[in-house]
Amino acid sequence: MTEPTVIFEEVSKFYGEVLGVNRITLRIPPGITSLAGPNGSGKTTLMNLMTGLIHPDHGSISMRGISSRDPERLMHITGYATQYDAAPRWATGFSFITTGLLLFGYRRPEAEEKAWKALETLGLAEAAHRKMASYSKGMRQRVGLAQAIAHEPELLVLDEPLNGLDPLVRAETIVLFRFWAAQGKHVILSSHVLQEVDAISDRVILIANGMIVAEGKIRDVREEIQERPSKFIVRCREASRVAALLFSEDFITEIRLNEDRQGLLVLAKDRERFSRSIRRIALDGHEIDSVIPADESVDALYEYLIGEGK
Amino acid sequence: MNNRLRLKQAWTIARIELRRAFISKRAFWVYGLALLPAIIFFGHSVAVKFRRERLSAKGLVRPAVMDSIRPGEAVEAVLERLGKPPRDFQWERYRRIRPKGEAAGITAHEIISHRRLTYFDGQREAILNFTDGKLISSQIRRLLSFEEDRRIFAGVFQYFYLRLAVFFGCLGIFMNLFRGEMLDKTLHFWLLAPARREVLLAGKYGAGLIASAVIFAGGALLCFGVLLWTHNPAEVQAYWRSSGMGHVFWYAAAAVLGCIGYGSIFLAAGLLLRNPVIPAAVLLAWEGINNFLPEILQKLSVLYYLQSLCPVPAPVDKSMPAILQLLLAPAAPASRAGAILGLLSVTAFVLWLACLAVRRMQISTVLRRRNLC
Repeated sequence: MTEPTVIFEEVSKFYGEVLGVNRITLRIPPGITSLAGPNGSGKTTLMNLMTGLIHPDHGSISMRGISSRDPERLMHITGYATQYDAAPRWATGFSFITTGLLLFGYRRPEAEEKAWKALETLGLAEAAHRKMASYSKGMRQRVGLAQAIAHEPELLVLDEPLNGLDPLVRAETIVLFRFWAAQGKHVILSSHVLQEVDAISDRVILIANGMIVAEGKIRDVREEIQERPSKFIVRCREASRVAALLFSEDFITEIRLNEDRQGLLVLAKDRERFSRSIRRIALDGHEIDSVIPADESVDALYEYLIGEGK
Repeated sequence: MNNRLRLKQAWTIARIELRRAFISKRAFWVYGLALLPAIIFFGHSVAVKFRRERLSAKGLVRPAVMDSIRPGEAVEAVLERLGKPPRDFQWERYRRIRPKGEAAGITAHEIISHRRLTYFDGQREAILNFTDGKLISSQIRRLLSFEEDRRIFAGVFQYFYLRLAVFFGCLGIFMNLFRGEMLDKTLHFWLLAPARREVLLAGKYGAGLIASAVIFAGGALLCFGVLLWTHNPAEVQAYWRSSGMGHVFWYAAAAVLGCIGYGSIFLAAGLLLRNPVIPAAVLLAWEGINNFLPEILQKLSVLYYLQSLCPVPAPVDKSMPAILQLLLAPAAPASRAGAILGLLSVTAFVLWLACLAVRRMQISTVLRRRNLC
């Protein structure tokens, strides 16, 4: 038997003249898949397409064998935690999730039990009976996540799901994602925090300007990242001297001296060896004020991965 | 997924919407529109009750004597025959006169005395206007005429209640079922429900319909109740036994069918258009000019069917300008069965269009960024 898959066939979506995504073809197997990309790259559009909130202008989408245009069947197996944190004014956290569950056809006691379980999982039991309008942004994010998981879906689509979670709940949620993935479910999430993508995902889809720029197992992408030189800004008194010492190392590809002659921009192929060298230079008596990584954002990674096309 | 579950889903959606339709801030002006005629009729009833009591307390005249009053009679003769009136009001007015001949150029004044006597025979009020001691005009009318009040009710119901109150009430309730969610940015909550879009539409429309029907049919019945309250119980009972029950039923039915028709149109407009003012203005104008249109186009109006259901034709004031009379006069009515079927057909057609629109509905992230959707 073939495993259930999320399939995008030549999917394009335009908002008037604005490109959403262009000719996307994807096959996502069960497990944790991260959509990573800079802001405005098309991650949310892709997730909205998966859940039928928007329809493709071209191409077709199949979510574990169900068309994205069939919300009745699709949403039975799908949970979507959107980025929109607007909450219905009438609802408390508890009533919001319970009402959602009633629409699935659960009887009220069962719906309430599931709602409690989801709220407890996300650490919201105490605030369950408060109006959602009074929740903080982080709490609304968590309620959205609780609603997405309450009916134990086979396919979870989560837009920036770990934003606004405290470290403990974040760790527990990641464990939960892994648990679901191990059960053969799809967990598709978006993130622009590289470490997060690296820590959670089995697979990653890199997206920029509405197009897939890389796709595959996370270790392949990690290798790609490691081959790329890292940028550091070094602030020090004797910049020329420090530059000369660093240039003798083979992992340094470029050094630029700042105009005030008290700073350097260093491009190093090996981050760890660079750290060791800087430490050694400091111990030798050269005063180093600070060392700041200049390219840890996902935007910088994309600049590297897609170059001028970004 | 079976139809029973779909029905349950629609009812769950409707229950949430009902709470909002009845309790939200927006609902209060809808209540105001629905209750305004009842409040006016209540005020009128109380005023008439007090007036009757005040006039009765100061003595009644016999009806025959009241009818014997003729124009030109002297005030003394009337006072002698009818006695001291419950109300007697006198005033004088100065009139400037310009003498001719020798006195030309000198302005003089002439005093004209006026007097108004009011008599009451227990049912009718006679207002007699005297000038310089002679009866100039008289007006004898029933202080409280059941028939006249029913005609007034018919006018208020058709000119105000159906054309404006139900129209704008439905605009407020139905237009916001989807547009309100878009403005609150909560529409995705509904679109992510495991329900067919048609079920979502049915739930929302059902909620709007229940709310508007309860508010406007309730408002019409309350107004009718207030109308009956002041009148002679025997007269009311006789009316009730003859045609009263039927009249009440058809007024309530017209209000409910108004909600069905206007509701479907505003629901569809809320799905298809961004600005609710434009469709409302267009529909109001369409309903207004309906009488000028060819017969076939008249049938594409909600008001045409509603007026056909009203048990008493709305009175038209003959002193009004001809253009206004034409605008207000109802078109040749359809049969009641035809009116109901016609209205339900128009509604079914509009709801079908709404279904197409809701199926194609999408969250627009571009619009969301602009806080529009």
